[in-house]
Amino acid sequence: MGLNRVGTALTAMMLLAAGTAWGAEISGKSSTQFLWYNNEFTERRIFEAAEYLRVNITRIDQTGKLSFHGYGRGAQPMGPDHDGTARLYYFYADYRDLYDKLDLKFGRQFVNNSAGSAIIDGLQIDLKSVGPIAFSAFGGRDVIFGRDGELGYAWNTNLGISAYLTGLKKTDAEISWLRKWDKSEAARDIIGLSAKQYLLNSLRLYGNARFDMVSETFNEVQGGGKYFPTSDLVFTAEYYQSYPTFDTTSIYSVFTVDRYREGVFRTDYSLGDKVSINLGYNRQWYGEGAVANVYHAGVGVRPVKPLKINLEVDNRQGYYGSTNGVMVDFDYELNKNAQVAGGITYDVYQRDVMTNDNIARRYWLGGKYRFARNMALSGRIQNDVNARFTENVSGRLTFDYDF
Amino acid sequence: MLLMLSVLYVKQAAAQKENHKDYADTKIAECNACHKSEGIAPNHDGDWTRSHRTLASRPGNNCSQCHDQHYCLDCHKGGGINADLSIYTFGRDYAPRSHRSDFINLHPIKALDNPQTCYRCHDQKQCSQCHDRFPKGNMRIKSHLGGQNYLWTSEHASEARRNLQSCQTCHPDGDVCMKCHASTAKGGSGINPHPRSFKGNNIKDRSDRACIKCHYLR
Repeated sequence: MGLNRVGTALTAMMLLAAGTAWGAEISGKSSTQFLWYNNEFTERRIFEAAEYLRVNITRIDQTGKLSFHGYGRGAQPMGPDHDGTARLYYFYADYRDLYDKLDLKFGRQFVNNSAGSAIIDGLQIDLKSVGPIAFSAFGGRDVIFGRDGELGYAWNTNLGISAYLTGLKKTDAEISWLRKWDKSEAARDIIGLSAKQYLLNSLRLYGNARFDMVSETFNEVQGGGKYFPTSDLVFTAEYYQSYPTFDTTSIYSVFTVDRYREGVFRTDYSLGDKVSINLGYNRQWYGEGAVANVYHAGVGVRPVKPLKINLEVDNRQGYYGSTNGVMVDFDYELNKNAQVAGGITYDVYQRDVMTNDNIARRYWLGGKYRFARNMALSGRIQNDVNARFTENVSGRLTFDYDF
Repeated sequence: MLLMLSVLYVKQAAAQKENHKDYADTKIAECNACHKSEGIAPNHDGDWTRSHRTLASRPGNNCSQCHDQHYCLDCHKGGGINADLSIYTFGRDYAPRSHRSDFINLHPIKALDNPQTCYRCHDQKQCSQCHDRFPKGNMRIKSHLGGQNYLWTSEHASEARRNLQSCQTCHPDGDVCMKCHASTAKGGSGINPHPRSFKGNNIKDRSDRACIKCHYLR
């Protein structure tokens, strides 16, 4: 979406806010940002101003059923020969409880069901309070964001329909269907299934699957369980498998592919907000005997109230390469209005096709000061040192205003 | 039947899930304690980033009782209106924590870890947008580096089957594949790329764009 169109949408949000100000509640956030970075695509140094705006307009009508929501950004690099860019994340009208049964959302919005998710320019309808099963449907133009604008053909569309259990406290189940059109041709046809069941006050079993109607295979299957003997301790065991999927309009939809599988074991423990620990192991199978093991450990501590320190260690060994990394960051509240934070990431990696290890480091430091309850200024600077840069400094300065 | 339905309606009325709107500002530890007492798993835990898909993808989820859509899109689509200091930017887009250090060089390994993970945020067209910059054949994968010991017929097939999506990033139209895999009538070598249980008619009924690259359709 060009800068002009998104600028129009953002202006419309503001005018709508003004136009409905006679009784409506308007809230949101403005974030004015100044960024500097190396554009790795054009290999140029960029200084850029960006504006994020999020607006919610509620209580427009007497019953409070109608509301508007919008969120977008515009960005303008400084200097000649730079075009501005814009991105409208969502902008929709939301009408709740039509006849006490229907919720409607019209406009650009994020939609999802167990068969897939998308941003669409269209309509979502939720039918509820009609029994133990509720229904949802959405349809509209498929919106795909690229680097500097939107990608895809104007007539790419999505349609999704779901039916799901409602009103059962410890049981969820859903079946859904998603179709995606590439121009006028059906590119994806997926049935999604998901279910969740709580047992014995300490166990959650869950599963979800996506069935590709074109290849007549389950292209994603996940099943697992979470055991939580206390509110601070969770054990997770999960199995997942997938085949890569392609649009029917892509030549790759006809090729043979291997199944990917993984098994995950994980433990998460926290002691209030003072200590948190997580440990994870992930075993991966890539087909034809290729395997990999991924280990993860993380700990967060708050030795004194204003200071939080996080440490994460990751290790991957096996097919296609190895990675070893550590991430350390801290967050310190100087007082109720001021905060400083910083961290280091250190990664050593090697791909099968390389002969040596490569090292990548990131150092960053940031601070935030709150002038008032609804105004804050923050900044962050980072330096990346890796195989491509001996020094790559980037950062941002942000002024946030809540209204 | 009527009796069963009315029992079901009564049960439904009594068993409504808790509305979380009033708890939006509650500390997570307090949420977890209440969840445990009700036999519901804590779900905003350390595993949230990896596991929230199952909960959030369900229509009728209660995420919107505490979060606006920007909360999802800031992570999934690079927005930065609520970014905290630990979130870094790649250009003007805000990147999740998983995109660490030199992700340009790390992502080939990460993209292989469950290829579906990339597609939670990125469309395949975005991959091609970046990879189009590089000369074809420049990717550091075995089939491109070749060498005397590389067995094209078997090693390329294994490499492609395990990571076909990476081929698509540089060869979105598969032109290089046609040299071997198109039918001989179309000038290829006729090497069959299809899986054993190939459902060609399912594809042809929806779109013949892929079919006509290799076959003449009557």
